[in-house]
Amino acid sequence: MVTEAPERVLDISDYSLDYRTVTGPFHVLKGIELSVKRGEILGLVGESGSGKTSLAWSIMRYLPRNAEEVGGSIMLSGEELLLKSPREMEKVRGSRISMVFQDPGTSLNPTLSLGQQLSEVLLAHRGLSPQQAWRESISLLADVGIKTPAKMMKRMPHEASGGEKQRIIIAAAFACEPEFIIFDEPTTALDVITARQIIDLLTQLQTRTGVGALYISHDLALVSQAAHRIAVIHRGEIVEQGTTDRIFETPERDYTKMLVSASPDPRQRLVEKRDENAKGDLLEAKDITVHYGRPPFLSGLVGHVHSPIIGNRSVSLAVKSGEILGVVGESGSGKSTLAKALVGLNPFSGEIVFDGRSIRGIRDMDRNYRRNVQIIFQHPDASLSPRQKIGEILSRPLKLYGRPEATLPQREAIERLLAQVRLPAAYADRYPHQLSGGEKQRVAIARAFASRPRLVICDEITSALDVSVQASVVELLIALQRQFGTAYLFITHDLNLLRQIAHRIAVMYRGDLIEITDAGEIASNERADYTRRLIGAVPLPPSHAATSFPNRE
Amino acid sequence: MIDFSKRLIRSPQGAAGTIIVLLAIVIAAVGPDIAPYDPSAMSPLLRYRGPSLAHLLGTDEYGRDILSRLLFGARSTVTMAVLSTFLGTLVGSLIGTISAFLGGRADEAIMRTLDAVMSIPSLLFALLIVNLLGSNSVNALLAVAITFTPAMARITRSVALAVRKQDYVNAAIARGERGLYVVTREMLPNVIAPVIVETTIRVSFAIMLFATLSFLGLGAQPPAQEWGLMVSQARQYMHLSAWMLIWPSAAIAIVAIGFNLLGDGLRDVLNPRL
Repeated sequence: MVTEAPERVLDISDYSLDYRTVTGPFHVLKGIELSVKRGEILGLVGESGSGKTSLAWSIMRYLPRNAEEVGGSIMLSGEELLLKSPREMEKVRGSRISMVFQDPGTSLNPTLSLGQQLSEVLLAHRGLSPQQAWRESISLLADVGIKTPAKMMKRMPHEASGGEKQRIIIAAAFACEPEFIIFDEPTTALDVITARQIIDLLTQLQTRTGVGALYISHDLALVSQAAHRIAVIHRGEIVEQGTTDRIFETPERDYTKMLVSASPDPRQRLVEKRDENAKGDLLEAKDITVHYGRPPFLSGLVGHVHSPIIGNRSVSLAVKSGEILGVVGESGSGKSTLAKALVGLNPFSGEIVFDGRSIRGIRDMDRNYRRNVQIIFQHPDASLSPRQKIGEILSRPLKLYGRPEATLPQREAIERLLAQVRLPAAYADRYPHQLSGGEKQRVAIARAFASRPRLVICDEITSALDVSVQASVVELLIALQRQFGTAYLFITHDLNLLRQIAHRIAVMYRGDLIEITDAGEIASNERADYTRRLIGAVPLPPSHAATSFPNRE
Repeated sequence: MIDFSKRLIRSPQGAAGTIIVLLAIVIAAVGPDIAPYDPSAMSPLLRYRGPSLAHLLGTDEYGRDILSRLLFGARSTVTMAVLSTFLGTLVGSLIGTISAFLGGRADEAIMRTLDAVMSIPSLLFALLIVNLLGSNSVNALLAVAITFTPAMARITRSVALAVRKQDYVNAAIARGERGLYVVTREMLPNVIAPVIVETTIRVSFAIMLFATLSFLGLGAQPPAQEWGLMVSQARQYMHLSAWMLIWPSAAIAIVAIGFNLLGDGLRDVLNPRL
């Protein structure tokens, strides 16, 4: 840790913020006490809706109109920000405080070249001439690890990758040598490997410039890679703060303990070893290839050659009965494409053998296949029709496939389904929007299990959920797996989670299946190059891996 | 629902629109009962009178009370407009949703056909249909409904295309639901909000379209008390009494504006993102 000049760059004391709503004031932040020293990264960790982003905007003094500051103070190097006029704040923003946002795709203007956007910051705040600003920008880009900075300056945002864009935004944030930088989930929209590089870059730049920083994230394990201290925020209140090691080793408050224990840790296996002698392959996919896009109407007449986008390039894998097969890969690696092909949502070429029966296209998928192969989607908001009650949603598979216990009346069958996923029977009369995200995902699970399937495809089903909810959903899935012996094709980008629950792991990259390996051997050195890079990029929760973090002393 | 109406009333357009439309519905319902005179009772001595205490809005070329005729006419005018719009919406939104659900070549074929139909101006198209079917109220209703169908289909399709990509539709297809179920139970209920807004606004177009048809002598036939027909007949006598022309025109304008405002209000309420 940096020891010289322990002066406070940012000092928030007893700060509270309300939003005025139709139903009265909503308390977003309550009595926030935070301080960041020069050269320190403070991690701010909280689940969605905890007020972490509102706090960031409070510091930037850029609040929505219905915001009302109830009291407290926000000091930047001893100056009260709450007393500054909007005109004065314009000078502070960008030059003394800067911010890096979550999605690099939307925080750059698509109609301006990257160089124009970066040198604009220097023109506005450092009073350089355009030529000086341009030259300075090139050296800034070199600093953030862009290989050909002069060429990159002339490109438009859509011509750069997500990682490159985030690097440019970081360059802009550091451009005016600010006293304080806010990182608002800077790697959430990026792939694991890119995210790791960005975090390394952040910590490097931060150590070099000695700037104070607030690192906001929902991912405790991720924050621990960069932050010296961590503050945990829950429902607008700072629950606990302390050094990173202290938070992980001896969390004091229940909420922190829950957060620490909810981050998946590959060393704690949650499923038993599968009996190797058990029945063989349940579903076998052979050379599944999926193309996207159809040749445009009439375009053949004028001689255009249509080149389709490849979603999957001859993927072959087999799911054994009762097995959890994990599929991991970055976004765009073809994981979901494969899932959709297996349930007949994507036209595919190749062959699926299910239970000895060959299926060569969507038309071959009969009722029996559909009953036995169910899918659960990522966003429970999107997978439950907002205009149907939970009871009606759950009644559909019962009507289509028949009830498991034929004697049971429908209402009771639905209540039993709800009980299976630990939801009260009264939920049958509710609409999806009256349920929380985790509860909605439980309904989606109940719907998939209504037909007693033999294979359930879980397409990123935990990634839209908060960590604590995610842990309980995973636990429920494992309990159901024990009860019914269902096989899962569990798709996720969270490698740590897979190492906890999967029997075997399939690694995908850009539409190809790289390899399939036993979960226990995923970290071995014999794995493919890409797998090893993936393993290297995924942060482990520090309580078990304190030595593997070169960024902290 | 209570929260919904509260928000609707809170916006100025919503409040004004609701009041006017409610008033129009009340008049359509009880108009004949509160009318001071028989709408077809002639009095040759009281022709072309301006507003007076005995005849609040004056009298027409046969000495009939204009207020009574307007009150009686509200029923056919407003009901016809609402019915035809509703019919057009129903057919249009079904076509639009099915087209979005089918996608690909079928979608292309349906939408290009509708584009072709839409390229004919709506009044001309309605005139064509009425001429083919014969001029009476029911045919005018059908004509307006058919005229509205392509535009409603287009609007519904644009919303339905987004709904088509939602996972609840995917989930329904993956579990092997029939196409009809997916269209009617999964997709239609979720495209209905913007369609309702468009429908409300279109009622005002329908009122004016009906008035135009009647004005051209292709809708309701005399001695019916339809507002557009009243304007058409008053035209010949406007230099004798302008009131005959002003009152029914004003009635049409007010109701049309009312539905338009209600549509604006609904749009704000149903779409919180705006």
